Amino acid sequence: MNSAMTDFSIIGKPTAMVDAAGKTTGGGKYADDLSVPGMLIGKILHSPYPHARIKGIDTSRAEKLDGVVAVAIGKDAPNPFGILPVGHDEHALALDKVRYVGDNVACVVAVSEAIAEKALELIDVEYELLPAYFDPEESMKAESDLIHDHKPHNIEKDYHHVFGDPEKGFAEADHIAEARFIANEVTHAAMEPHCTLASFELDPHTGKLGRLTVQSSTQVPYYLQHKLSLVLEMPMQQIRVIKPLVGGGFGGKSEVIPLEIIAAIAARKAKAPVKITYTREEVFWAHRGRPRTIVDLKTGVKHDGRITAVKALVVQDGGAYCSYGVVTILYSGALLGALYDIPNIQYDGYRVLTNKPACGAMRGHGTVNVRFAFESQLDELAQKIGMDPAEIRLRNLLKPPCITVNSLRVQSYGLPECIERTVERSGWKRRKGKLPRGRGLGVACSHYVSGAANSIIRSDMPHSTVNIKIDRDGGVVVYTGASEIGQGSDTMTAQIAAEALGCSLERVRVIAADTDLTPIDIGSYSSRVTFMAGNATLRAAEEVRKMIAAAAAKKMDCAAEDLVFREDVVFKKGSALPIAKRDQLEEVEITQSGASVSGRVEGQILRGSLQQKRKEEGPKEWMTFEEAVVAAIDFHGALTGTGSYAPPPEARGGKHKGAGVGPSPAYSYSAQVAEVSVDEETGEVTVHKVWAAHDCGRALNPVAVEGQIIGSVWMGMGQALTEEMVWKDGMLMNAGLLEYRSPSSVESPEIEPIIVESVDPEGPFGAKECSEGSLAATIPAIANAIHDAVGVRLHESPFTPERVLAALRAKKKQKALNLAEGVDLTSPARFREHGGALWFKGKGPERHPLDPARHEMPAGGAD
Amino acid sequence: MSLPEFKLLRPRTLGDAMGYLAQYAGNIRVLAGGTDLIPSMRQKLFEPEYVLDLRGVDQLRGERRLNDGGVEIGALTALSTIEKSTYLREHFPVLTEAAATVASPVIRNMGTIGGNICLDTRCLWYNQSLAWRKACGFCIKKDGNLCHVAPGGTKCWAAFSGDTPAALLCLNAEIEIASAIGTRRVALRDFYTNDGQDYRKLKANELVTRVLLPAESAGYRGVYRKLRVRGSIDYPLAGVAVAMKRSNMRVDDARVAITAVNPAPILVERAGQILTGKVVNEALAESIGDIAARTAKPLTTSGLTPEYRREMVRVFTKRAVLAAAHN
Repeated sequence: MNSAMTDFSIIGKPTAMVDAAGKTTGGGKYADDLSVPGMLIGKILHSPYPHARIKGIDTSRAEKLDGVVAVAIGKDAPNPFGILPVGHDEHALALDKVRYVGDNVACVVAVSEAIAEKALELIDVEYELLPAYFDPEESMKAESDLIHDHKPHNIEKDYHHVFGDPEKGFAEADHIAEARFIANEVTHAAMEPHCTLASFELDPHTGKLGRLTVQSSTQVPYYLQHKLSLVLEMPMQQIRVIKPLVGGGFGGKSEVIPLEIIAAIAARKAKAPVKITYTREEVFWAHRGRPRTIVDLKTGVKHDGRITAVKALVVQDGGAYCSYGVVTILYSGALLGALYDIPNIQYDGYRVLTNKPACGAMRGHGTVNVRFAFESQLDELAQKIGMDPAEIRLRNLLKPPCITVNSLRVQSYGLPECIERTVERSGWKRRKGKLPRGRGLGVACSHYVSGAANSIIRSDMPHSTVNIKIDRDGGVVVYTGASEIGQGSDTMTAQIAAEALGCSLERVRVIAADTDLTPIDIGSYSSRVTFMAGNATLRAAEEVRKMIAAAAAKKMDCAAEDLVFREDVVFKKGSALPIAKRDQLEEVEITQSGASVSGRVEGQILRGSLQQKRKEEGPKEWMTFEEAVVAAIDFHGALTGTGSYAPPPEARGGKHKGAGVGPSPAYSYSAQVAEVSVDEETGEVTVHKVWAAHDCGRALNPVAVEGQIIGSVWMGMGQALTEEMVWKDGMLMNAGLLEYRSPSSVESPEIEPIIVESVDPEGPFGAKECSEGSLAATIPAIANAIHDAVGVRLHESPFTPERVLAALRAKKKQKALNLAEGVDLTSPARFREHGGALWFKGKGPERHPLDPARHEMPAGGAD
Repeated sequence: MSLPEFKLLRPRTLGDAMGYLAQYAGNIRVLAGGTDLIPSMRQKLFEPEYVLDLRGVDQLRGERRLNDGGVEIGALTALSTIEKSTYLREHFPVLTEAAATVASPVIRNMGTIGGNICLDTRCLWYNQSLAWRKACGFCIKKDGNLCHVAPGGTKCWAAFSGDTPAALLCLNAEIEIASAIGTRRVALRDFYTNDGQDYRKLKANELVTRVLLPAESAGYRGVYRKLRVRGSIDYPLAGVAVAMKRSNMRVDDARVAITAVNPAPILVERAGQILTGKVVNEALAESIGDIAARTAKPLTTSGLTPEYRREMVRVFTKRAVLAAAHN
């Protein structure tokens, strides 16, 4: 199918999500809605200590409690796992060590949640406490008591990249800005907490466990199947993973979360189906969100606005396990490229382990925090050289098709149009700098991959495969491994199949994400589904269409290539679309079928006989889709097709160490203008409106694209203004949605999504990603707008009222608002300050007198 | 998190309720709207043997206008009912304004005025799950003997975080307290102890049944200002209520109360005295803000820094006083 084609019947039309009915009526089933006969409930015992060795676990008291069926511990399944092949450092249940408050120690299986919770209190664990590390920069100094023995200095991974000649670049610069930016830790806060239901088939004769079925809230069913196989030592074919409806992922379900494996281990031990649903607090402990990131950034520009060099030192507080960490720290560097034309880049990235829950992938994976720093600094530089902030961005555009200095291939590039249209829609030129005091406008840009060109499993396997089967009555079933998680994956699949087959959307049914039924797809993450699973769907549909065309061409006495498939009709190219004739045929069906069951049966017979009659008429000018399908099945015997997608070699990036992360077959682009006001007495920031333009290649479903843009902006605004995980002594102070403050509807500004279509040469119908790229621009757009409003530059997110007020006071040299009042600055290490949150820069906490941690433990090993 | 096991008692009359309360005193919790009790029970902050569900006691619901111009409000009256009462809005606006800021609309439909008055004090070290509290070694308010907010101290500093009591203090409200033996009335200002642990003067067999707004407080202009990060859902991080009577531009009488920055809602002493007889200007309002800020003792019980919250008590008080004087 030619991507330049524009006359579509389904693509580009606002389309309701195919799974909307179940979700809106409550009829849809999420993992926690499921139950099977004999199902038991699992509850996990979590570590109360941030870093400790397990000397012994005694589960006997718990096992004796009435209603407890089994208690699983680490040695029930000791094999390590992790999402990355280089990061197999997790155990479903701790073997010898716990590494954060909330780490998984044991799992009780009982007949009710209440009994399981009671039993948790009866498990006796003997711990030997170890010094804990909470601040990444402190953690990097560690010599002993490492979090993982094989990671010296608690550094998970560090990369040092030099592209071009940064020193020369800075020497050529007329202005250089240098600053430290900090973006504090945020989490996905998906509506649905993680839930897994695991059940084994039991051999009725021997009582032995057979196949395992796992229904889980996951973005990556195939990775789950793989990791289950590793940990449980079962062949993958013996494991079936089914993804029910998922209530949001945002990256939090894009890897194997301990409960998914624990549920299977527990079910094996209990010999009964086990369901585990995380509490919200457990979701925060499982986390895998965006790490606190310290960015030391230096940028040089010429008088004319051209960027000469960028140097970034990035330290990420990754938590206790690798998770996606190696990928995150690489994205942070790689995606300095591919947005603007930057000739010289130096990047030093450190992913550091600390005794906190693991960070992982979160919407805009790896780019967001560095983008906040970069776009803020670019704003400062524009001011220094007296250039309009929108203009400086236009001065640094790439000239695609091109390969960036760090080997990223850029083809479609809608950034210029994104900037132009947001500037126009927001009245930028007219209003910027002319708003009343306390009100301001800020602009920023961002981009994101449309899936990674190199999969994390390092194989040559296609990233997506899709099968299509068409039945005799023209019903199309698409089998895809792509995971619908609320983003519209199933709808996108149905749209592409229907458009390519020229049939109506109603004919298409999507069976998704069931490892027994659907061919492999590596999952819903890094915004890959539309591009990759979409292309696979398109190819599968084209294959089937060819089969139908071959049969239909015989009936219509023409060449297969001369046939057009559209709106449930197959006709010869050049002839007018005989929709009217098709409708006549269908009208007969409808009038004949009536409402009664017998009438419908008669209608079916009539329809069959009409078709038969038409069959006998001999060669035709046109056929209905159904007729063509019948002809094809008669001709071929069966009507199935398959398609797969693997990114082309040209898109797979360079050869340097770490070059695998960053390359993508296509990049999406975003430009945003935010309008904010700042209350100078309280520091409160109000976002009034955000204009967000996003280049998604082609909007397959414009309402879905707009929804994703609005969602990204809103989520970015949360990180910009209110959301922050606050830590003290390894304790998460706000492990709930009351104190972890995602914006409410009151704070939600008007968001004007602007769709830009650059029509990518390789995307399905030209489409690229649209779900993540817009998030990163929101944070710096707001930061820049705050600067425009009141003249303060915020270097640390979120821009809470106290941070804004402190900055305002510092600028005005008014009575300082000392946010660190009460801190004993002489012994920061003793208080184990970390996390950057302001709330707990005060004294304390002290541990309970009976808490052994209170005595020996000056953490961090610093004193 | 499961609810601990308990027996649910559902009386239909106040007499029955009092009877249960007397019978099971010390081992019973009262449920009015349940918006605070239920999450706290899931966190195992309370594991009573009995829960007394008052929602069937209709006589505790609704507002009743008294002949003298005062109003009686049943303790079970929903916050959303108060928020929408045109009579209260006209005559006691500070109360409707404060009620309208509580949590979110859904919670205001369930939450009651009595529940808001009796709201348990809150602290980030306390309102956490059992597993969480265990990990930090518990605290002085529950299961432990240590305060994480004021280390070394023996007093609990958990913050009183209700919105409406600040408004009620400004209205000189009284509450009626009933027990099996009889009823008594106390001024709301004498109800709280300013100790986070034993935060109210209510015996185990007693129940708050009514709120009484005196006729003398009717017609006061009222303003409530609330510091929170989100415009909805959040508990106050600081709250300021102002009630003011004016003639011409001069203040006849005024009261200022603050909440969420101490273990009790507190009337700001001398504020009324200073304001009375004066024309409010920026400087005067600012001086009231200073007094209010000095009255506040915010600690790390809640989000944002104590320093900032104290500063906001100053700013919000100033703004509330100006708004009451000029609107």
